[in-house]
Amino acid sequence: MTDAPVLQVEGLVKHFPIHGGLLQRQVGAVRAVDGVTFSIRRGETLGLVGESGCGKSTIGKVVLKLIEPTAGKIVLAGEDVTALKPGAMWTHRRRIQTIFQDPYSSMNPRLPSGTIVGEPLENFGIARGAARDDQVAQLFRRVGLRPEAMRKYAHEFSGGQRQRLGIAKALSVNPDVIVADEPVSALDVSVQAQVLNLLIDLQEEYGLAYLFISHDLAVMRHISHRIAVMYLGRIVELTDKRTLFTQPLHPYTEALLSAATAPDPKRRRQRKKIVQGDVPSPAKPPPGCHFHTRCLYATAECRVTDPPLLEVAPGHHVACLRRPVGGDPGPLSVP
Amino acid sequence: MNGNPGPILEVRDLHTQFSTLDGVVRAVDGVSFDVARGETLGIVGESGCGKSVTAMSILRLIPPETGRISSGSIKFEGEELTTLSEEEMKRLRGHRISMIFQEPMTSLNPVLTVGTQIAENVVRHLGVSWKAGRERAFEMLDLVRIADARRRLDEYPHQLSGGMRQRVMIAMALSCDPQVLIADEPTTALDVTIQAQILDLMIELKEKTGTAIVLITHDLGVVAETTERVVVMYAGRKVEQAPVEALFEEPLHPYTRGLMGAIPRLDVEADAAGTRPRLQEIPGLVPILTQPIIGCAFAPRCGFATDRCRSERPPLVDAGAGHLVACWEVDRVRRAA
Ligand SMILES: Nc1ncnc2c1ncn2[C@@H]1O[C@H](COP(=O)(O)OP(=O)(O)OP(=O)(O)O)[C@@H](O)[C@H]1O
Ligand SMILES: Nc1ncnc2c1ncn2[C@@H]1O[C@H](COP(=O)(O)OP(=O)(O)OP(=O)(O)O)[C@@H](O)[C@H]1O
Ligand code: SF4
Ligand code: SF4
Ligand SMILES: [Mg+2]
Ligand SMILES: [Mg+2]
Repeated sequence: MTDAPVLQVEGLVKHFPIHGGLLQRQVGAVRAVDGVTFSIRRGETLGLVGESGCGKSTIGKVVLKLIEPTAGKIVLAGEDVTALKPGAMWTHRRRIQTIFQDPYSSMNPRLPSGTIVGEPLENFGIARGAARDDQVAQLFRRVGLRPEAMRKYAHEFSGGQRQRLGIAKALSVNPDVIVADEPVSALDVSVQAQVLNLLIDLQEEYGLAYLFISHDLAVMRHISHRIAVMYLGRIVELTDKRTLFTQPLHPYTEALLSAATAPDPKRRRQRKKIVQGDVPSPAKPPPGCHFHTRCLYATAECRVTDPPLLEVAPGHHVACLRRPVGGDPGPLSVP
Repeated sequence: MNGNPGPILEVRDLHTQFSTLDGVVRAVDGVSFDVARGETLGIVGESGCGKSVTAMSILRLIPPETGRISSGSIKFEGEELTTLSEEEMKRLRGHRISMIFQEPMTSLNPVLTVGTQIAENVVRHLGVSWKAGRERAFEMLDLVRIADARRRLDEYPHQLSGGMRQRVMIAMALSCDPQVLIADEPTTALDVTIQAQILDLMIELKEKTGTAIVLITHDLGVVAETTERVVVMYAGRKVEQAPVEALFEEPLHPYTRGLMGAIPRLDVEADAAGTRPRLQEIPGLVPILTQPIIGCAFAPRCGFATDRCRSERPPLVDAGAGHLVACWEVDRVRRAA
């Protein structure tokens, strides 16, 4: 891992307008991403974890510039790409690729899989004809598919094999960063293990940086180096994975960890701190700390003051009013 | 009750098949198990192994156009279900045997309020007045800890969050005091914090009401935390069955062992930051259920397989203390621990 980040995101905001009334005027906004800052180095996996609707996929799409940010800055390999229009973005697209949860939906059912995987090679003018076929055959081998399978169509592959096709396609243009949005969520555990192992091997071989999106904490802990926990459009805690799992500081992280199930019957009933209630709507996030409606430790101040994300200990960022810089990392008291 | 009343549900050598363009799908291929009164039995296995079809067979909800229970027996309170008429089944379903599914919207009626739906179920099965049905609906919503239950009675399913809809489904399923509740992936679509709430609620209500639960899931963590006994399925067959502690302490079937090695774990001590141990892979793919399976269904993927495995189907044998396993090589597997 070298230290210069290949991807930097600063103060990223993405609001989706809500239209209503007879005239379909804008009556509000979904604050899908509400001021997010992080960076990823070469060869590193940053995990984005959080519950449904907290803004993970939106961050992925904005970073890929599939949608435009409302505010903030995106720096890719040292170059500010925030304001680039699609045409100018084109040359940068090679550097950042994506793997989806369901690769099938993005594959043309009428094209052979080899053509699908080789598409970016053609589009970016990297290789054509026989040279392209050679490269595609190599990619197939690298992700554990037989090159003869290049003639088959997407529907003839299993879920895990399709995910391998998606990985081969993303890999084809030699990117710096891969945004992987729930890449193993739809797979059975035995196949999930194959794909996770492959992603780790490829990362080590090519120095790829992954922005890895998942709601599964165990998968996250397995693949990530650092993890950002999100709640309602914001990062509430960001640190290396060991610290996150052994010394979580944000009450929401603590709640997530204690809600997770483990394949160990001896651990049952050890879950003490299950948070009650539902996640509020991102169209109407609570004032102050977004988590205060469910937080066991909330004080009056939490209902009015927005906690900033602070580096409370070296490399450990937390957004909680009760976790000041250099503060006691011990358990919080219930007020 | 005194004496030994026996299991509430007995499934014997169940075969359920579908006719498709590709041939006959042997979705459930000779499965047997009992459900004891008041117990929580887990059925676990990967996608397509026949968990839902087993549940649908018990409830007699297999679509008759393509599918049928081709042989076997299902007894509820000693009464054979496979030969009951649809009318008789209707009287059982939602009353003495009830169910909840992964996606509550598929079983809730979008145009009726949740209060009306629960009340209808109660009125139909228990023959009480509409007013008493409404009151029961209120009690049930309150029981599943829906805040402000009185007001929620008059809301429609789409006005509720996913977690609340699943609570409504549980309220409805328990509204007539069933003896068995079949829950097919009840928390799979939910966020972890909501999943934890729902699982806790199901266990708490089970202890309160004595309803036996058949919990179907692909998630070994959910099984470990909520069930007492577990059936592991592979390719339409039961390959292992054990009390939950024994299963996780010493899984005996190579497939179960493979599954446990394949999942990333949260509960083992974290490695030094940065290292990522390889996950155990199960090579290959699940068999295609339209083709006849000779011998052990897991043989093509199994590191222990011998010629016998490829030609003779392994019988379920008791490896001690109610731990059943269908594997010819269980002694070798054990030693390889
Ligand atoms: N195109 C859009 N228009 C309006 N709202 C949107 C749009 N895309 C996303 N949202 C909203 O933004 C919020 C964040 O959505 P996002 O898909 O980023 O969540 P997520 O964290 O990826 O969730 P999940 O785990 O369910 O995939 C949600 O409330 C979602 O409904
Ligand atoms: N109506 C049907 N027609 C044809 N085949 C079917 C039908 N329903 C189920 N099957 C097949 O029966 C097998 C078992 O399916 P089942 O739904 O029981 O799996 P499952 O274990 O519940 O999987 P999942 O975890 O994905 O829900 C599968 O191969 C499936 O394709
Ligand atoms: S700021 Fe207050 S409400 Fe928010 S997480 Fe910290 S203690 Fe809880
Ligand atoms: S019977 Fe043979 S093939 Fe089947 S699980 Fe046992 S050792 Fe493996
Ligand atoms: Mg998403
Ligand atoms: Mg199913």
